[in-house]
Amino acid sequence: MNKIVKFYHEMGSPPSFYRITAYWLKPLLITSIILMIYGLVDGLFFAPPDYQQGDSYRIMFVHVPAAWMSMFIYGIIGVAGIITFVWRMKVAEAVMMASAPIGALFTALTLLTGMLWGKPMWGTYWDWDARMTSELILLFLYIGVIGIYSAYDDDPRKAARLAALVAIIGLVNLPIIRYSVTWWTSIHQGASISLMGGNTGIKDWSMLRPLLVMALATKFYYMYSMLARARNYLLRTEEQKSWVIKAVNKQSE
Amino acid sequence: MRFWVLMKRDVLVSWRKKSNIYQPLVFQLLIVTMFPLGLGAGAQTLQKIAPAVVWILALISTLITLEDIFKDDYEDGSLGLYALSGMPLSLAVLAKAAAHWLTTGVPVILFAPVIAVLLHLPSQSYLILMLSLLIATPIFSLLGTVGSALVMTLKNGGMLLSVLIMPLLAPVLIFGAGAVLETTLGNSATAHLTLLSGCLALSVTLAPLAAAAAIKVNLE
Amino acid sequence: MKPTILQVSEVQCQKGGYALFAPVNLTLQPGQLAVIAGNNGSGKTTLMEAIATLGSFSSGKLSFQPDNSTDAWLAESHYLGHALGNKSSLTCLENIHFATQINGEKCNEASMIDALESVGLGGYEYHYASDLSAGQKKRLALSRLLLLNKTYWLLDEPFVNLDATGCDWLFAVICQHISNGGAAILTAHDNKRIHQKADVIISLERP
Repeated sequence: MNKIVKFYHEMGSPPSFYRITAYWLKPLLITSIILMIYGLVDGLFFAPPDYQQGDSYRIMFVHVPAAWMSMFIYGIIGVAGIITFVWRMKVAEAVMMASAPIGALFTALTLLTGMLWGKPMWGTYWDWDARMTSELILLFLYIGVIGIYSAYDDDPRKAARLAALVAIIGLVNLPIIRYSVTWWTSIHQGASISLMGGNTGIKDWSMLRPLLVMALATKFYYMYSMLARARNYLLRTEEQKSWVIKAVNKQSE
Repeated sequence: MRFWVLMKRDVLVSWRKKSNIYQPLVFQLLIVTMFPLGLGAGAQTLQKIAPAVVWILALISTLITLEDIFKDDYEDGSLGLYALSGMPLSLAVLAKAAAHWLTTGVPVILFAPVIAVLLHLPSQSYLILMLSLLIATPIFSLLGTVGSALVMTLKNGGMLLSVLIMPLLAPVLIFGAGAVLETTLGNSATAHLTLLSGCLALSVTLAPLAAAAAIKVNLE
Repeated sequence: MKPTILQVSEVQCQKGGYALFAPVNLTLQPGQLAVIAGNNGSGKTTLMEAIATLGSFSSGKLSFQPDNSTDAWLAESHYLGHALGNKSSLTCLENIHFATQINGEKCNEASMIDALESVGLGGYEYHYASDLSAGQKKRLALSRLLLLNKTYWLLDEPFVNLDATGCDWLFAVICQHISNGGAAILTAHDNKRIHQKADVIISLERP
């Protein structure tokens, strides 16, 4: 028990965080690449074709994990935002701002792959159904967090606290948006089938397996990318401190 | 009570500069002219889009006024006056929102029928239009205080404010414009208006807290 | 009035992540005058704002005896910064009216007009604040001090923009406030008189 508590406290301190995570980067990246190759090969070549959509459904193996990540990362940003705002923990700040661009990219990827999937499936690149509309609004939330951070470029700590506040507001707003957009589409009877409607009914293991592998791969990739960015963030914002000078000198040896 | 003092001051300041009040309305007139110019003057087409367009114009014309809620006070130092007066900051935010609603929201509500007439909104929808705007314009002002507090110290915070506020306004737009649309189709708008009132209740309680927090961070 | 003490211990302020000055200590009681001196950019305004609770300290703390709460400190102090707090579209009288009312002071119109007269703005009661010159705007802001019953005056560069008579007047007002049992902290560049009068002089040095 003491070891876990000690570990938690160490991760909260920027120099220890920096030192400990240095060893994690390469393994995370390699694992994610291996999983991604396995998942993509499995999904693109070995999974059976869908009886309804043929082969075009395979974009789901990128689209669905990206969608899951876009929402998961926003949750992380929300929680890190609360920790930053209430306890002013520098590492939480770093994690939050490091995750934002990654989450935004996953959201954009979800929207893009959704559009590519939409064309062969429904004949249209875009459709205002509940999930895609919510995903688009999620992209705005990410842009808001990144935007307010970059607007206050003369004072990064203040910028991060404001970004944390925006993230928390967004987190509170997320269920409201989701509910209202779903309600809105249900009464408007647009395209009644969601572009992501396929995955909830997957019973075939050979289709589910590549999906889960890709989901795992994206998580490892996120951890790698987030830690790399967070470490850079700490170097930048703590540049006066002696541990930064020592760490940078050690790296350049 | 200090709430009234601050609110009265703000209404007076806005009233002195009349352009604050009629600028959103002129803006609405300009933009609403573009719709027939772009779509053709056919009454059928305009009638179809009328519920949404009236609502969206009310929203956008309010959006352009939001940045100044706290920016002016920050720049001339009067924010320091009421922030340090011992008055709870969230109460001050409520006073600012109330004053903004009186000087921006109420004119928008009163002007909406004009825009509606220009777009051939069916006559049965006018009452619901006014009612939905009556509930929604305070929400605009309250959410506006949050956005304005976040971008208070920036020189050009308007664009960023719109990005930040837009996800918060999406449900309001859905319920509000939806209410008017339902009425034009002959259905009841009670559900929409109830949900809109729920959004108002949430805004009144949470927006002042968020805005006060943002002001405190910005003043550090 | 209860005897109060303001204590500022080992405080520093930061801007953009960098500390602005070496730790500052200050103890102030009613009847004392403190002057903060330092070069341009040394952090005088940031320090003043932090003492006024408009900003914050990056280290150290401020304590106000006997009732160490922000509300108690705010009730006893008034801050006048560079941004004067005058609303340009309100008249002088309306500006003072707002300032007094928002601080919970009830002042009748006669006392407000008197205050304006004593700062040299007699006859400008119904002029918009935007019509005033820089010095007059400063006088308008200073008139608040005469009406608000605050013990501790926090003044950032109060002599700026005032003409010679204005400076004399302000010096006299500050002296009277001190002898009446008030206290003041102010920043002043090159005002010999005020430096001589000060009980405490804080020089901001590089960290």
